[in-house]
Amino acid sequence: MKKTLFALILICQISWGQHPIDFDNEDYYFLKRSHHLKIELVEQKLKIENEVFEKAKFNNGKMLYLFGSGEYIHFDSFTEIENIDAFTETSSGIIKVDHFETKDQFGGGVFFSDQQSINFVFPAVGKDAVTTLRYKEIIEDPHFLGSFRFGTYVPTKEAVYTIEVPKGVELGYKTFNLDSIDITYEKIENKKNTLYSWKANNIKQFRKSEESLSVLNYLPHIIVHIKNYTVKRKTIPVLNDVSDLYAWYHSLTSQVDETNIAEVHAIADKIVDGLSSNKEKAKVIFNWVQSHINYVAFEDGLGGFIPRGSFSVCTKKYGDCKDMANLLYVMLNHVGVEAYHTWIGTRDRPYSYYEVPTPVVDNHMITAAIIDGTTIFLDATDSYVPFGMPSSFIQGKEALLGISKDEYRIIKVPVQEKEINHTVIKTSVSIKRDTVRATSTRIMKGYDMVDFIFDAKFKKDEKTDAEYLNSKYEIGNNKTTFSNIDLGDLNSLNDSYSIKYDIDIFNYSRTIGSKIFLNLTLEKTLAKDIILSENHPFGKKIDHKFVRDYSTTFVIPEGYQLKSIPENTANELEDYGFSFKYTLKDNKLTVDQQIYMNTLAIKNEQFENYNIFIKSLLKVYKKSIVLEKIQ
Amino acid sequence: MKKIVVIALLISASNSFSQYYKTYDWETNPKIQELKSYELQESSVAILKRNIVEYVQSKTTKNIIVLETTHNIIHVSDEKGIQRHNQVYIPMRGETKLRGIKARTIAKDGSITNLDENNIKQVENIDSYGNFQIFAIEGAQIDSDIELLYTTERSYTPFGSELFQTDYFIRRAEMVFITSELFGQIKTYNTDQEFERTYLNNLLVQELVLSNIPPIAEEEYSATDANKIYTAYQCFGNTEVTQDILWSNTIGNLAKDLFPLETNETVFKEVEKNIIKTQDSLSVFEKSAFVDNYIKSNFTVVENRNTQLEEIDYILKNRSSSDFGILKVYGHFLRALDVDYEIVVTANRYTHRFDPEFYNPNALREFLIYLPEIKQYISPTRIDYRISEAPTNILGNYGAFVNKDLEFHFSKITQYDPEYSRIKRVMDINFSEEFDKVTVDESQEYYGHWGVQNRAYMALMTGDNKANFKDYLTGSGIEDKKVIKLELDNTDMNQTVYNLPYIVNSTIESSALIEDAGGSYIFQVGKIIGIQSELYQETKRLNPIEMQYPNRYNYTITVDIPKGYSLEGLESLVIDKKLEVDEKLLCKFQSNYKIEKNKLVISIEEEYKVNEYAIEDYEAFRHVINAASDFNKAAILFSEE
Repeated sequence: MKKTLFALILICQISWGQHPIDFDNEDYYFLKRSHHLKIELVEQKLKIENEVFEKAKFNNGKMLYLFGSGEYIHFDSFTEIENIDAFTETSSGIIKVDHFETKDQFGGGVFFSDQQSINFVFPAVGKDAVTTLRYKEIIEDPHFLGSFRFGTYVPTKEAVYTIEVPKGVELGYKTFNLDSIDITYEKIENKKNTLYSWKANNIKQFRKSEESLSVLNYLPHIIVHIKNYTVKRKTIPVLNDVSDLYAWYHSLTSQVDETNIAEVHAIADKIVDGLSSNKEKAKVIFNWVQSHINYVAFEDGLGGFIPRGSFSVCTKKYGDCKDMANLLYVMLNHVGVEAYHTWIGTRDRPYSYYEVPTPVVDNHMITAAIIDGTTIFLDATDSYVPFGMPSSFIQGKEALLGISKDEYRIIKVPVQEKEINHTVIKTSVSIKRDTVRATSTRIMKGYDMVDFIFDAKFKKDEKTDAEYLNSKYEIGNNKTTFSNIDLGDLNSLNDSYSIKYDIDIFNYSRTIGSKIFLNLTLEKTLAKDIILSENHPFGKKIDHKFVRDYSTTFVIPEGYQLKSIPENTANELEDYGFSFKYTLKDNKLTVDQQIYMNTLAIKNEQFENYNIFIKSLLKVYKKSIVLEKIQ
Repeated sequence: MKKIVVIALLISASNSFSQYYKTYDWETNPKIQELKSYELQESSVAILKRNIVEYVQSKTTKNIIVLETTHNIIHVSDEKGIQRHNQVYIPMRGETKLRGIKARTIAKDGSITNLDENNIKQVENIDSYGNFQIFAIEGAQIDSDIELLYTTERSYTPFGSELFQTDYFIRRAEMVFITSELFGQIKTYNTDQEFERTYLNNLLVQELVLSNIPPIAEEEYSATDANKIYTAYQCFGNTEVTQDILWSNTIGNLAKDLFPLETNETVFKEVEKNIIKTQDSLSVFEKSAFVDNYIKSNFTVVENRNTQLEEIDYILKNRSSSDFGILKVYGHFLRALDVDYEIVVTANRYTHRFDPEFYNPNALREFLIYLPEIKQYISPTRIDYRISEAPTNILGNYGAFVNKDLEFHFSKITQYDPEYSRIKRVMDINFSEEFDKVTVDESQEYYGHWGVQNRAYMALMTGDNKANFKDYLTGSGIEDKKVIKLELDNTDMNQTVYNLPYIVNSTIESSALIEDAGGSYIFQVGKIIGIQSELYQETKRLNPIEMQYPNRYNYTITVDIPKGYSLEGLESLVIDKKLEVDEKLLCKFQSNYKIEKNKLVISIEEEYKVNEYAIEDYEAFRHVINAASDFNKAAILFSEE
């Protein structure tokens, strides 16, 4: 009896100190993952190497299939890979990986990239196999020191990050989300160098999820950068702070080849011909670049940081974000609109320039223009965003504006308020037997408009207009058919957009005995939005704030009387809300329904409240009006 | 799959001929193309897609080369059209060389922007596609013509094919096939149009002209890609090469290593140690299942260019194989267990319809192992499959069946057990006292392909995909569904019992299925069978119907009627749709109900006896499919008595 008690106490103590990861229940997991970053000063130059080590254990044979397409070691023109050693240990011995292939990276929305990968396959990753991978990255450019992620797509038992820095090199680093894991930190200063070390145990898996916020908001990781180094008593800055980062960026943008810029100026003059205000000029130039320059992405070494010349972009009619940004910059300044090259990170990079003054912060370039004292952010890679609005994926992010050689400014891109992204849907409904007929107009603004146009152009594929509307709005049920569709002129750029359509929904209302049951909420926005936390490990991402106003009218058919209508109801919260109001005038019933979303993220701790909200909405969605035949 | 080269068949000596492509050029002064009224809705229209394939033999060395010229004029009408055509990828497989390239954009105002050749980039070793030359079209804008003309030279391969139907409208497609004194044959598919002999520059050629080819229609239940218009061609220096010789030569070459005369010693040991100590009492099915399970649990099929992956000793040592090499492993293991088998050489029916009449290497992309004694198949490269009827992507295609004596015959790949795939669902439905919540207890049995696929989904899927699959298993489309219980049985992919069902027992709760309608309650009973697909047909059906496999569903839904309530609206539960051809039932959906004491018992039988239906039966087929979607809308009204 005593023995049993003792054992129980021990287990409790262990389990208190550990995260509850059942490693044996995983298909596979990492026994250990480590990076050792070694910085040296050799012949007055920086020498940077990163030794990578990964050891994984397999609990079953499922990975035999998934590993068949191979492991990839990615690198680009700033990195070289050396000394790869990879093998599998099985009960019958060690099998070395003996075949490696180097491949260019392709696809993923990038037309041409300097990214390459070394591809290989771990053999025999059946039950109880253990794989080991070791290699060295030679980092050629000190601006790209990178980061270390303690978690990855499967759990890790032990993750170790060590950095060895010689005297004379000053290191900067910023940790993210480390308080969520069991980790120890040590800094040892020796005569010649300093050793930093972080050791973490039992780290759960971190997998990207389409509908979640960026995994980087939750994943424990460290970003490092060299602040400066001293050679012969002279201190050479690398990335001390934002001014160093900006100085480097500026040195790259000043290399733009602006041959024949006069011809670009002539085009700009022609575009703004007859316009006097800076706002009008900026708008037509922005719209011109949006509609005349096709987005084609290039990632090509430092060329990936230097925009192509504006004349070349104008002639070729294609370019990537920096090419379009530079073209806008050239044209706007020429016509007298104050405009700046602007670097920015998309919303999936949750970093601040102040915390991490490195190129990790940004992945995008736009143009900022100052018009009548207001800064507006122009991103022509979004072909449909109205002038004055930033693209949706940079809302709330810090923008780095290059004012002059030595001056920069950091400004937050405003999150666009819900009223800007406003859709009004007006519908009149009638019934014939159990088929509902409706005529709708839909007027969209802001990102609701941008999304509609983009989807209609690029996601519609070979679908007919009716199939497209059916899949986009899910109106009524899957027996809904559309007719008289007017999708408007998708090729014109406007601040609002309207479409019209008629619909027939078969088997929608229900005639039972002398009564007709009819649900007037034909479109159930957010109905599928209940969040299951296992599907959203990292919060729920909302693309943009919005307000949708539905006004649905129904004329009571002759020979029927309205027996019951649902109560007016509302649940209006700070971050989201709805209201339903029924008005009967003569024989016309109107439902005014509003749904709004006033946040860009639902965090994990907010899931419960959000689900309560959605359930309250679902409760209203299932309410019908009841008509009864007049006897 | 394995590269098939029939070099031995090449015995010829003839004169070298002029190279036609050198005389071919685009218009010096091009004019922008006007669209016809029926083309205005398209994002882009190929005004011309011209393809010239030219086999040329050197007078001196007798080497044959293949010159292929592509000339496209595409009118782009919107951004989608531009994005579809402004990035060009030219495949440069093997020793392919580019023999000149030009591209230009002709704008609406007649101005021309030519491609700067310095902007052409090379990309290397792109997955299984090899190398490419890539560039972006310069000057592309709305309502411009993008014109592209280039010629590639590749070393001799006797076979090739050209696709003539794609995702945009083609006003005129032309192909010129030039073999001079070599012996060439060309065949068209999925069109009635054929090649005609004609003269170009005094050269006898074969030419095909097609007009107004519609974009490929993505339709449900169809093998869209296999139905595209294409041509396949052959060219030899020897007129005595027949299709029979080609098939037997290639199949003989392929299959000779797949029937080992002696079993590898390592395999014997592995069989004894890891698979079975004694095989006396095992059936052929069990032996084959053990082999399939063992190989798929211990070997990896690798996609790379390591040539050793086809050598049996290397494979056994390194546990890695190519998709062809793994067949050798099966051969050794099946032989060790004395199981008779045949190799089936075939193609994915969704991408290529196998034509025994005309040899084409594209038809040799898939390999199955057929076990004649039990009429079952092993799919060696399909980790999601275990010994079964023919996998769904092959079922219905033709294939070459090769036996151990390397004799072969062509045959359609069919299903042996007509009852193989079926689902049985039993549901019990109860309401809460307040009539605001419904509880569904369900037990399901999935047989055949359903069972095989469910096991694979649950074992191999991760993240959102796995979550979606669990949602499907418990009835999709119920917005506030709460899963109280989900228990799965017979889930291991490695089974050794014939057609063991995959078992799902679940309990869910929902409030959304009940609507309060002023004192009465509408219960959306149809929703508990999950979302059902609805087949729309706004435009004329273009493809015949190909389902994945014949299958059947049987449902028994028992609804508890709370005391003091009566039921209305039961007529929506009665549905009877079927398709009969020549008095033979091909598919049906039938639902009905009966009241037994305080229970409403609904029964559904949905059945698809075959997986292929003629295009003229589409409407009737659609009505059967949509009947399930009709049932999904069924609702009944509970009123207090």
